[in-house]
Amino acid sequence: MRNPATSLLAVATLLIAGCATQHPQNAEEFRRAVPGAFMAKTETFEVKRSFRDVAETFQRKAPECLNVRIRTTSQTTTSYQVIVTSYKPTVVATKERAELHVQQHHEKGVMKVTKEPEGGYYLLVVDAYPVDRNMTRVQWFGPSRGYDVLIRAVKGWASGENLGCPDLTKIG
Amino acid sequence: MRTGRGARGHWALALAVGLLGGCSGMKPYPNSLEPNLQIRTETKSGSVFSGVRAAVGIHRVDERCQIEYLGTVDLDKPTVAVGIPADRASYLVFDFASSSFLGGTRSRITQETVLRPRPGYSYEIVASYKDDIYNVVIREVHPGTGASRAIELRRLSCRGAA
Repeated sequence: MRNPATSLLAVATLLIAGCATQHPQNAEEFRRAVPGAFMAKTETFEVKRSFRDVAETFQRKAPECLNVRIRTTSQTTTSYQVIVTSYKPTVVATKERAELHVQQHHEKGVMKVTKEPEGGYYLLVVDAYPVDRNMTRVQWFGPSRGYDVLIRAVKGWASGENLGCPDLTKIG
Repeated sequence: MRTGRGARGHWALALAVGLLGGCSGMKPYPNSLEPNLQIRTETKSGSVFSGVRAAVGIHRVDERCQIEYLGTVDLDKPTVAVGIPADRASYLVFDFASSSFLGGTRSRITQETVLRPRPGYSYEIVASYKDDIYNVVIREVHPGTGASRAIELRRLSCRGAA
């Protein structure tokens, strides 16, 4: 039995990639691909928090929460499947923008159909921009379904209201 | 490695009930030292058909950065007092195990940290799992003044962990 999360990801990545011709190979390509892709979306919101605090929170929480390997198994009476997935967060902060990239690499159990960027397929890109001293605008690009817990966690980091980590066994 | 599992059948339901009922099969931590950790646990699965169980595994870390598993404390009460050796490193692994009664699915996720308690100090820990978001927050409390400060979580690193 195929893991529903994996199936969803496979469909989403293919759609983002434009019918499997090429998957975005860097964060900028991913930003450009998401708005027109099925099962992908972008959203913008503002938080009453300084840009510096938001960037600092991304830098602190991303490695703590998202630098993980997840092992999932699916079992029926006739099949048994093991999928091992590693996640790689990257934070790039300048005075103008703080970026959080999340990449996903299947170490085991999922076939690759397009060229995978170094570090894994891009799953989520979050950009934070200063608006004024105590206001920051945040825009994320990612899947429209199945990754709610990841999006909620990043929103919590941006607002400072919830600094917990997403349970990445619950995606999909 | 953090794990998730989907399974169907009566055995899965029986296992889920067993886990939630306290038959985790883990070695209990002796917890014979004077308590210096107060662990408050908050769990909420987000569904009446699922449950979350929290526990903390306690490991000794020696000078060569080798770890020895000492046992697990079930965090099955709102607050649990635990004693770990002061002035030496312990490796704490907070484990959140969730089970769904209807789908027969279960998963677990862990949050680890190295903690070296200072003699005389106490540590207030909040371990939470709410709606698939988990967190462990540690505060060190001064024995005389009661003033507290946040302690960053530290991954086990053989360069200076112990």
